[in-house]
Amino acid sequence: MVSKFDELELNKLENQVDNGGGGAWEYLCLVRKLKVRRSDKVLKHGLSILNDPNKRSNLGGDEWILYEQVAIAAMDTQCLDVAKECVKVLRKRFPDSKRVGRVEGMLLEAKGSWAEAEKAYSSFLEDNPLDQVIHKRRVAMAKAQGNTLEAIEWLNKYLEIFMADHDAWRELAEIYICLQMYKQAAFCYEELILAQPTVPLYHLSYADVLYTLGGSENLQTAKRYYASTIELSGGKNTRALFGICLCTSAIAQLTKGRNKEDRSSSDLQSLVATALEKDYKRRAPSKLPLLTSALRSLKLSS
Amino acid sequence: MGGELRYEIGQSAYIKLVLHALKHKTSTVNGVLLGRFASHNEEVLEISEAVPLFHSQIALLPPLEIALLQIEEYFGVQGLSIVGYFHANERFDDRELCNVAKNVGDHISRYFPQAAVLLLDNMKLEALQSGKDGGPVMQLYTRDASKGWKPVVADGKSRFTLKEPSANVVLHDYIISEKWHDIVDFDDHLDDISKDWLNTELFK
Repeated sequence: MVSKFDELELNKLENQVDNGGGGAWEYLCLVRKLKVRRSDKVLKHGLSILNDPNKRSNLGGDEWILYEQVAIAAMDTQCLDVAKECVKVLRKRFPDSKRVGRVEGMLLEAKGSWAEAEKAYSSFLEDNPLDQVIHKRRVAMAKAQGNTLEAIEWLNKYLEIFMADHDAWRELAEIYICLQMYKQAAFCYEELILAQPTVPLYHLSYADVLYTLGGSENLQTAKRYYASTIELSGGKNTRALFGICLCTSAIAQLTKGRNKEDRSSSDLQSLVATALEKDYKRRAPSKLPLLTSALRSLKLSS
Repeated sequence: MGGELRYEIGQSAYIKLVLHALKHKTSTVNGVLLGRFASHNEEVLEISEAVPLFHSQIALLPPLEIALLQIEEYFGVQGLSIVGYFHANERFDDRELCNVAKNVGDHISRYFPQAAVLLLDNMKLEALQSGKDGGPVMQLYTRDASKGWKPVVADGKSRFTLKEPSANVVLHDYIISEKWHDIVDFDDHLDDISKDWLNTELFK
């Protein structure tokens, strides 16, 4: 998860490097720090440093980190020759390293030699049963081969050991959502909200899943979580604002004919509508008429 | 009605959808197709517009409902209906139409029975990137009598064509110039409402 501020800074640096303004090493460090996936840029700019003996020697010990980063980027963009070269260099420098062994495993994956990669990883885990990266590679391999159910199995086993790994819970939730297993996805988000109650993203995703599940109780809960998202994000989350409108409309449809007059609910709805209209007027005025009619049709259907 | 319904996709819609898929190579992406029956020939459905929808968590309802509301509103005024759905799988070698795609297709069929589902054909797209033009880089699916989605086999009389024969040439050029950086989808809009999901400036 990258904040908007970090993303802006990263894009600024990327533009600078792309246009010959220097700063390649800072860019590569930031990519590593934020753990984002920009493999084509990493490959291009990383190689420009590695292929220049002066720039390379200026890095000192960090040279090997760069080789690792470029190797992985090369695998991601299917430039396997480059990856092989980098791995060779790393292996020569660190003949007994397990870390290099992991990268070699990834190279096997990139080549599609799944069975060999699996063998390599299994033997690693025998010596280091608590190596998180290798456990996650197993999940990634299952996903890459389209064995989604197997990926779920591995990921659940991983989470039994490393239950504080929030990224893993998010990954599991997203896999469940792809398979339309919404109840299980909801459970993952519940774990995340328990662990980190002030992260608005989890509240939002939980609300989205509950709305998708449907039913009066889920819709009421979804509405509460959209509201908490709005509170935690200082009212700036467009998706949560829309979420409130959708929930209000859907709940009203379900309770039609039961004469339930909910003043607070319609107050919330008009507050949200006003907030949305204000924001669109300021930042997307051409879309304001569309927003207004969309909100009107949601109210009409209630 | 004589033969089977033919589907024709306009260049603007076609290119937007493929560029969207190329912008998010590591995710599943989807989009909505808009069009109408050809004025001169009711046996041809013209897909003249497309809106790229999402590149994350595509199986969730709220963003989809908001998007469809606004899309219907905008294009309804121009006499265009939602006539289909586009889907691109996450993995290169995955050629199956997943349940989410079928569900959205079913939903659209309720309002437009002859709806089309288009699945990105990664092999054809890869071939195009090396200059081999094999027709539209998508597989057309239609609903058969048993209400299941079946791929339409490309035979002598092609049921799915590009309206402009040079569309693939234009697409190839855009790929070389990495035009996909400029495409905006509904996900981008929801994250920052100043981003235009209509992509009005894209081809200017």
